[in-house]
Amino acid sequence: MAPKASSSLLPPLFEQGSTEEFKASGRTLAVAASPRDGSIAVYPTNNKAPQFMKAGYPKKQPIYFVAEHLAPDAERRTFLSDTSVIFNVVQNLVKTARARKITLFDNGETLGALRKLAQDYVNFCKECWIYAAENKTADTLQFSDDHYRQLHTCLSLFTVLYVPEPGLEGAPAGEDLLDWLNTHFVEPSTDEGKHLATLDKPWEDESYWSYLARATLRGLSKASAFFLETLSKHPSPYLQDLSRALIPILSNHPRFSQFSSERDFAINSRRWRDKVKTLRVELDRVPEDSREDGFDNWWAWFSDIVGVLEGRAEVVKRVCTDLGGDWKEVCVAWTMFVDPRLRRQDLPDIVVDILDDLPPDPTNQEDVIHSSLFLGKPVQALSQAAQLDVWLSAHLADMMEALELIEATPTDDSDISLRNLYIIQFAEYLHSDLNLWRHTVDYLCTCGDIGMKMADEVLVRVPLRLQSPKDSTAASEESARIRAGDLAGVLKEVNASCFDHGREEVRRMVCKAFTREKEYGLALSYCASAEDWPGLGRIVDRVLNEYVSQGPSNFARSVANIAPSLHALRAQSKSGLNGVFIYRLIFAVRFAEFHQRKVNQEYMDAAGDVVAMLKEEVAPRAWWAVVLCDAVDLLQNHEIMPFTTSEATLLLHKLEEVVSRSSYGAGKDYLAVLAQCTKNGDEKFALQQLQSVRLALAKYYARALDVVPV
Amino acid sequence: MIQTGLIQNAHNDLVTDASYDFYGLRLATCSLDQRIKIWQLDEDTGNWDVEDDWKAHDAAVTKISWAHPEFGTIVASSSFDRTVKIWEQTAYAEIERPQANGASSSSSSSRWTERAVLVDAKFSVRAVEFAPQHFGLKLAAISSDNHLRIYECLEQPSLATWQLAEEVDVLALPSTSPTSNSISQTVTLATPTQTTSTLDGASVSLAAQALQQQQQQSQAPSRPGLGNREADGGWCISWCKDKYWGEIIAAGCGIDGKIKVIQLSPSKRPATLLTLSTAPLRPSSETTSKAPVPPADGEAAPYAITSVSWAPSCGRSYHLIATGSRDGKVRIWRIKPPALADEADYEGDGDGDGSEGKWTGSIVGEFDDHKSSVGRVEWNITGTVLSSAGNDGRVRLWKATAGNVWRPAGHIGVEQADEQPPDIDMDENPVAD
Repeated sequence: MAPKASSSLLPPLFEQGSTEEFKASGRTLAVAASPRDGSIAVYPTNNKAPQFMKAGYPKKQPIYFVAEHLAPDAERRTFLSDTSVIFNVVQNLVKTARARKITLFDNGETLGALRKLAQDYVNFCKECWIYAAENKTADTLQFSDDHYRQLHTCLSLFTVLYVPEPGLEGAPAGEDLLDWLNTHFVEPSTDEGKHLATLDKPWEDESYWSYLARATLRGLSKASAFFLETLSKHPSPYLQDLSRALIPILSNHPRFSQFSSERDFAINSRRWRDKVKTLRVELDRVPEDSREDGFDNWWAWFSDIVGVLEGRAEVVKRVCTDLGGDWKEVCVAWTMFVDPRLRRQDLPDIVVDILDDLPPDPTNQEDVIHSSLFLGKPVQALSQAAQLDVWLSAHLADMMEALELIEATPTDDSDISLRNLYIIQFAEYLHSDLNLWRHTVDYLCTCGDIGMKMADEVLVRVPLRLQSPKDSTAASEESARIRAGDLAGVLKEVNASCFDHGREEVRRMVCKAFTREKEYGLALSYCASAEDWPGLGRIVDRVLNEYVSQGPSNFARSVANIAPSLHALRAQSKSGLNGVFIYRLIFAVRFAEFHQRKVNQEYMDAAGDVVAMLKEEVAPRAWWAVVLCDAVDLLQNHEIMPFTTSEATLLLHKLEEVVSRSSYGAGKDYLAVLAQCTKNGDEKFALQQLQSVRLALAKYYARALDVVPV
Repeated sequence: MIQTGLIQNAHNDLVTDASYDFYGLRLATCSLDQRIKIWQLDEDTGNWDVEDDWKAHDAAVTKISWAHPEFGTIVASSSFDRTVKIWEQTAYAEIERPQANGASSSSSSSRWTERAVLVDAKFSVRAVEFAPQHFGLKLAAISSDNHLRIYECLEQPSLATWQLAEEVDVLALPSTSPTSNSISQTVTLATPTQTTSTLDGASVSLAAQALQQQQQQSQAPSRPGLGNREADGGWCISWCKDKYWGEIIAAGCGIDGKIKVIQLSPSKRPATLLTLSTAPLRPSSETTSKAPVPPADGEAAPYAITSVSWAPSCGRSYHLIATGSRDGKVRIWRIKPPALADEADYEGDGDGDGSEGKWTGSIVGEFDDHKSSVGRVEWNITGTVLSSAGNDGRVRLWKATAGNVWRPAGHIGVEQADEQPPDIDMDENPVAD
């Protein structure tokens, strides 16, 4: 069974029956729901304003954490991941069918494909069942073998009833149902058979006739024939003759699968039925006094068996009940003997009557689901399946919608179709384990726009784990790679998941996280991979803003982060789409290099940077004034002459442009950044600073004249 | 439901609020002991460890709220000391910086810095909540004089300046238009001069107080057992998470048993879009009442709504708002925005009663399982699971099932269990009502 829920938290807050005292103490409970996995924090809190609280409640204040589901354990996770692969294939199948405007269940190819996938689900459940049974020791598994057995029986019944082999949708269903019953609910037991086989006179054993009757009901003609053979030694000559006649009848019971057409099957069934009638006539001829053998009334048993073969409804029902069979046994026997041509679609009419007499066991979830499936009530089956396991209801609902067994559009005012309701419920379960977020998102993204939005809520909360943990070196290597601009680890997966499902907004959200943490390099490569060029521009602006707010050295450090991505971006930029933003990035890198060189006292190179930035118009106009001001210390360095005359002239030209344009009212365009760097942030101060540039330039010219006499 | 963890002793007095951060990796708690604690989840062990702990206010802290991480690591706390405080987790390098509140217990561990103190409230501040991040760094706070205040941070890096963008007396807030679909008792009590404006705050709030006192007196006989309004009232807020409709907040005050859905916009004064009130409503009715209905048979006895929670709409055409109240009920309201003008055109005239352009609301679930006062309601991140907790010492989950019927989906309690708990208590099956 699924893990049992508990009814109380530990340690308890108050003794049993003390609810009133708890209330009287002025306390109540409050909750907080975790965005991480849907778990809930529960804590006692005050029900009144504190000044009205009486003292006297315990001082120890616990916070309990509870969850609706336990996060899946390793085995369960394997099951969930493996079946999610099948689920994805089903989605593709349905999508393709819809794109080709094919009604899935009307098309042999698609129906066949779905049947195969349904059987894949069945097989996975079976494997899990076997695995869980083999590893039963202790209570180590979250879900027992019996749980998977139940999933197995429900899914395989669904397949038998609703996903038939293409072409056989309208064919008699009896044989398939008998197979299902014999596979999952083995009767009569093998042990009984073995026991009877060891006996010389098995008919003297009390289980003999019931075994024979059950084997007949289950169509086990070989077993029946084997034990009927033993009756050749029975003292009653009547019985000897009758059993000899019965053996070929049982062995030749026509099965639909043996015939190429339903017509042949019908003709053969009729002929076979006539033989049974002949046997009945002979049976009735046995004198009353020869019908017992001292152990049992063999005649009555024999008559019941013949009654079943004759397809007498009341006999079938009675024999099944007497043998301890339930409604399933009766339904299947019905389709084999009473109405062997019964089709799937006519089954519910019969089942309703049978269930009236033999209702399903309401405490047995599995039995209840089976009955709803037999009754052709998919909606009911789903709600019951959800009680057993949300995995089952989700995957059943998915196939049911594909087969048009349930409405694909919302039937109520929730905006959510039935299938999506169950898929979302399952996704909630998956969300209880953060490590399954990729599956959570995959499932949600099959649920239309609403599901996608829900997936976004999950996606944006996947922790990217950028601050690498202390423990493992592998993790820190990964984070180092991420920082180097590689998309790796969780980040890569989030990125891929966003990409698969077209969740661009979410990708950008993730990007913002990097910007916030001043992981500019990371943000850049992320933006580039998301082809978010305006976003890239914003990051460069943020980086440049570092200069304004934090000063040159912090700025240079930040840019060191993004420099490596520049090269890659330049290669990409050939498309031309992102040109504008790339230029801004080039400037940021160059500007940082310039400051770095000044720090390293590489003045000549630094001067080269200044010239390059201004000459090649790499620097945006708003930054010219800043570049010029930052070049002042180069101009004032008395040991070197880093600028040639023509370069100094270039600086002067730029300075003139800034000053004159500003005086004509374009100050915002030319002075904004410099103004921000000054204390008061106004243009007047900026202009004053530029005056010092002019002075420095003038002095530089003077020195140039000194050094190089004209 | 299953217990997955425990903090043995979170605070030295009752915990007043607990709030998860955006990722659910941290939990902020506050308490009657005037302190805030930040807990960090150890993902390997599932344990919660204290990361920080400081005395935050000079009286009991009432609520704590995390800002969206886009803005940094920021929480806001509200308190009986009539303030709202903004706290930011600062980098290690900044630890040396002297703290404005000077309240850090040990300078080495405290990395949270007080960034701002909002002192506009004249009464205890009962709730605080940051607005959804797409509206910028904003927060709403409600105090026990029924004033809802909206603050906006003007200087984001420093978090020092917060502008009081709106201040409104929720009880006195008039409805949008004369044809509004909500008529509440309080609106009929309020005269036009009693609407609040930020310019004239003091006198207006005095007027409002007088109004409440008058109201209290008039209501006092009809609610035996309910004592002081300050003691038993409920003040709660919850933002609409959607961007589309602009800034909307649901607020409940005092003991009037109503939630007002309030639209905030920069150009207009705050306006009530809809009032959620049980008195004239029946679960089956599609719209709110169109006429004032006199309280019938004591049914409309006032009660406090202790908690309101606006579910993320995730693209649905409607919103869900849950309330928990002292009448012992958990209610789920479904509210529907007006049809868009162009859609209405396509759909023809509709029912022709001029209902387009209006928000409508109805109850889609009402549960009295807690029997006595409900302490808190809260939605999960997708708005599909509602959790509630109450005076019966139990936590309950609620989910929509097929047919959009809300049903119980499990519960767990803090009461000591039997030696062998009866199966009946353990069933998680929804019970049809």
